Amino acid sequence: TQICGIFKDAQRTTATHRKLVVNLRKIHEACCYEPIRPSKNGDSNDFDEADFNNEFTRCVIRAMPVKKSEGIGEKTIRFVGLFLRHASDKDNDVLGENDVDASTMPETPSTRLTTQVMEAIVALLTAKDKFVRYRATQLISHVINSLDAIDDDLFQKLRHGLLKRIRDKEAMVRAQAVLGLGRLAGNQVEGMANSEDSDDDAETGLLEKLLEVLQNDPSAEVRRSLLVNLPILPNTLPYLLERARDQDAQTRRAVYSRLLPALGDFRHLSLSMREKLLRWGLRDRDENVRKAAGRLFRERWIEDCAGVSAQAEDGKPAEAATPSLDGLLELLERIDIVNSGVENGVALEAMKGFWEGRPDYRDAVSFDDNFWETLSAESVFIARSFNDFCRMEGNGRYESLVEEKLPEVTKLAFYLERYLNVLTEAIRRVNTQEPSEEDDDEEDTVEQEFIVEQLLHIILTLDYSDEVGRRKMYALLRQTLSIPELPDEVTKLTVNVLRDLCPPDTAGEKEFCSVVLEAVADVHDTIVDDPGADNDDDSFHSARSDVSSDGTPTKRGKNGELNEEDARAKAIKEIMINMKCLHIVQCMLANVEGTLQENDHLISMLNNLVVPAVRSHEAPVRERGLVCLGLCALLDKPLAEENLTLFMHFFSKGHAALQITALQILTDILNVHGAQLLSANPALLKVYIRALRSGSKNPEVQGAATVAVSKLLLGRVVTDHETSTELLKTLVVAYFDPATNGNQSVRQALNYFLPVFCFSRAENQGLLQSVALDALHALYNVREGLEDDDADINEEMASLSTIGACLVDWTDPRKCYQPGLPMEAEKKHVNGDVHLDFATDILEKLNSSASKEEKKTVGPLLGKLYISPASSEDKIRVLYEEVSSAVEENIATDATSRNALYKIHVNLGKIVNQLSEQDKTMMR
Amino acid sequence: PDTGTKQRKEKEPFEIDFVSPLDPKLAEQIYTQASSHSAICLPKKDWKSKTRNLLPDDKHFNSKQLLSLFLKPKARMSNRRRFASKIGTFGNAGQQDNLPEGEMDEAFWAQKEPQNAHDDEAAMPQGDYDA
Repeated sequence: TQICGIFKDAQRTTATHRKLVVNLRKIHEACCYEPIRPSKNGDSNDFDEADFNNEFTRCVIRAMPVKKSEGIGEKTIRFVGLFLRHASDKDNDVLGENDVDASTMPETPSTRLTTQVMEAIVALLTAKDKFVRYRATQLISHVINSLDAIDDDLFQKLRHGLLKRIRDKEAMVRAQAVLGLGRLAGNQVEGMANSEDSDDDAETGLLEKLLEVLQNDPSAEVRRSLLVNLPILPNTLPYLLERARDQDAQTRRAVYSRLLPALGDFRHLSLSMREKLLRWGLRDRDENVRKAAGRLFRERWIEDCAGVSAQAEDGKPAEAATPSLDGLLELLERIDIVNSGVENGVALEAMKGFWEGRPDYRDAVSFDDNFWETLSAESVFIARSFNDFCRMEGNGRYESLVEEKLPEVTKLAFYLERYLNVLTEAIRRVNTQEPSEEDDDEEDTVEQEFIVEQLLHIILTLDYSDEVGRRKMYALLRQTLSIPELPDEVTKLTVNVLRDLCPPDTAGEKEFCSVVLEAVADVHDTIVDDPGADNDDDSFHSARSDVSSDGTPTKRGKNGELNEEDARAKAIKEIMINMKCLHIVQCMLANVEGTLQENDHLISMLNNLVVPAVRSHEAPVRERGLVCLGLCALLDKPLAEENLTLFMHFFSKGHAALQITALQILTDILNVHGAQLLSANPALLKVYIRALRSGSKNPEVQGAATVAVSKLLLGRVVTDHETSTELLKTLVVAYFDPATNGNQSVRQALNYFLPVFCFSRAENQGLLQSVALDALHALYNVREGLEDDDADINEEMASLSTIGACLVDWTDPRKCYQPGLPMEAEKKHVNGDVHLDFATDILEKLNSSASKEEKKTVGPLLGKLYISPASSEDKIRVLYEEVSSAVEENIATDATSRNALYKIHVNLGKIVNQLSEQDKTMMR
Repeated sequence: PDTGTKQRKEKEPFEIDFVSPLDPKLAEQIYTQASSHSAICLPKKDWKSKTRNLLPDDKHFNSKQLLSLFLKPKARMSNRRRFASKIGTFGNAGQQDNLPEGEMDEAFWAQKEPQNAHDDEAAMPQGDYDA
């Protein structure tokens, strides 16, 4: 009875647990150690150890049926664990230390109690009631984790019992089982290292089982529980890190906020793993995961490198850590900045978050002359990312910071020149070297290239109101562009800066074109300049004739062979130079907004460079020429019209990458010049439809086509009814078609496009409605085709009723955006004509000769439609009549369709009656 | 008033009654064993997950890409006011005008004018004719 009282108190709050444990232990001792402790209390004298154990067990069992949601249950269980632990500690004290190391566990009152309680609870692990199983599992896991040692027989029983429960039907039970076993697996692996036990197999078996659960358990709670409780070992780590891509956002977050901080120094991870973890985390779809990953980077990883005692408790950065530039440099080196710092690399995001979250580093960085004179990939990236952050974030709050810390334009131009020289020399060195010695130098070139790129990124953001600086930069870049060896990315950035250095108006654009084309001419002249070149034909496509003749038998002697080799080298060089010229032009055109006809430079460039390139027999030249021609077509409608067939031809005949390019050119043209080009060319629509259906052969083309068509429809470029319906229907089918299961580009684009398209305008909903049943019919056929040969079809494809419900939802007029109304606002009595039309179509389908099965999937949709009294009156009346006759003729064959039909009949009937009443009152 | 009492009832703290003898109903709940192993276990087909519960490859579809040309990613589509956005600014400062944060919702697209409105203008690149 005293025991009862203690349990009664223990369930209320954990605060008094310590005291209660001591009290209970007193009773326990009184019962077990009578001889040692003569009782003061007459009552307890009557109880012996067995009574105590029975009573204790009885109380524990009482806690078993408690629901999961009741905190009381957990408190009680924690109390039991605490007591058993306390009791066994005390018993060990009594025994004295000499026995602690004994190989067999001595029997004590507490072990007897533990055994009795646990034996009772183990039996409950297979109870029918889920809460009993839950509590039993929870208690066992808790006890296993809180006791140092357990009798071996008992331990095996518990372990076995828990192991069974990792396959329990209830996720909450599995989560508890896994909690107990996770720690166990950890202990045992440690134990294995010490003693070559015969149980080895069993132990690794346990770990393997748990890893399997970690991957396969349908419940995120279970997986998460394992994630934070499994031991971190070389053989478990890959499985744990894999959870960074778990379906469940909280689990992914746990990887970043719990697992990785617990892991210790991140430098133990492989380079590629670091990059992946950063990329996955910082680009996660869930904001909380992104935050956790950002914090990991700027608070933990930096401290690993900065070398400060980072053992601060839980999350907070070690306060004592002073910003260390060397630490930051190492951090960037450890994430391989030359690769992760390129455009679209993850390092930009990582550093943006870093500057945001580390004001201490923001204040501490300084970029003095010495800094600029000894740039490395890491240090230049610090400057670049800092510059980006200060200029783009915080609404100009940090602009002063960058002005204070970065040198002025003239100085930066000077540094750029210096690193450009280093780069070109390095490239020339590599080019003249034997292939075998290249490795080191090539690596160096890559770093130099990276440095120049980053400098240009900074330069791209500068303010050029200082005329001296502007001129210096302009001259330098103009000169740079003439270097034929300049890497493509550097060229692109150089051209972009040059555009900004010219005034932003039409005259400025002309100046920009002329200066870039001058540089192109310089580059082109290097073909002619080549000493020993005798064939200085200055047309661009002459190279091919020389190359194609190299198979002809030759009577020329040694000298002739040499010439032939020379000729081949020369031909290759010509191709390279041509490619370079085209690339410069492409970068230039991407920055041009005016019209072609207004700009003579552009017209002559088109005729002398681009058109010959498109006709070239060298595929790379031809393809690059195509892009340039496409860019020109964006500036001139007649040119676009003339070449439409050519672009379509490239789509039909080209390889996948070329098809995508052609598709993009065509889409850009439609965007710029309007969709009449599409309606005027029926073949073009076919190109789009074909591209949208090209999934099985070319998934990338299908992906590109999906984005392109989304752009045309959402941007309201294509508004023609017939074209839009055709495209939309194809998109809807592609979205649900199991063939696109593996094509995430298509799925993810449509996942955005379809609802946004429908909900943005009533006309769009009408459009979708008009294709809905056709699309459903097509998908019905797809599914029929699957059913023959595929067992788990439901995993592959959504059921037709789900698809139907989706279509109904997208056309629901209540969900459509209405100007002036906030989107969350409850919309009552909106015009529901769309759904009335939907109903008409469904009735038609039910009346048609479609198969019974198909009707069965269509009919029930009637019940899901929104029937609004605010719809057009005549539509309501007409539909009511149609529905009435459908009811009379009993066209619905299955029960669900029939019910849906009755439902819509009743709803319509009510509205029609109301309308008639209104009419009557009006008449009076 | 009815719901009020209901709520209060629910809030009444739940306690385990350790003192009184075991209610037969509870006893049944505790001691009834599952009829079979399979009744309390996960069906075997759920033991394995085809996807290992991992996300599919994220393609990072960004709705903003629908606003720019493929070949000229820096230029906003159907921005007929040529050069207008560039005056006085360098870099991309001028381009983030009236773009919502994050993904663009239906309200954004609802404001989109049909492209045809521009077509007359576009059809005359030289601008020689009268509009």
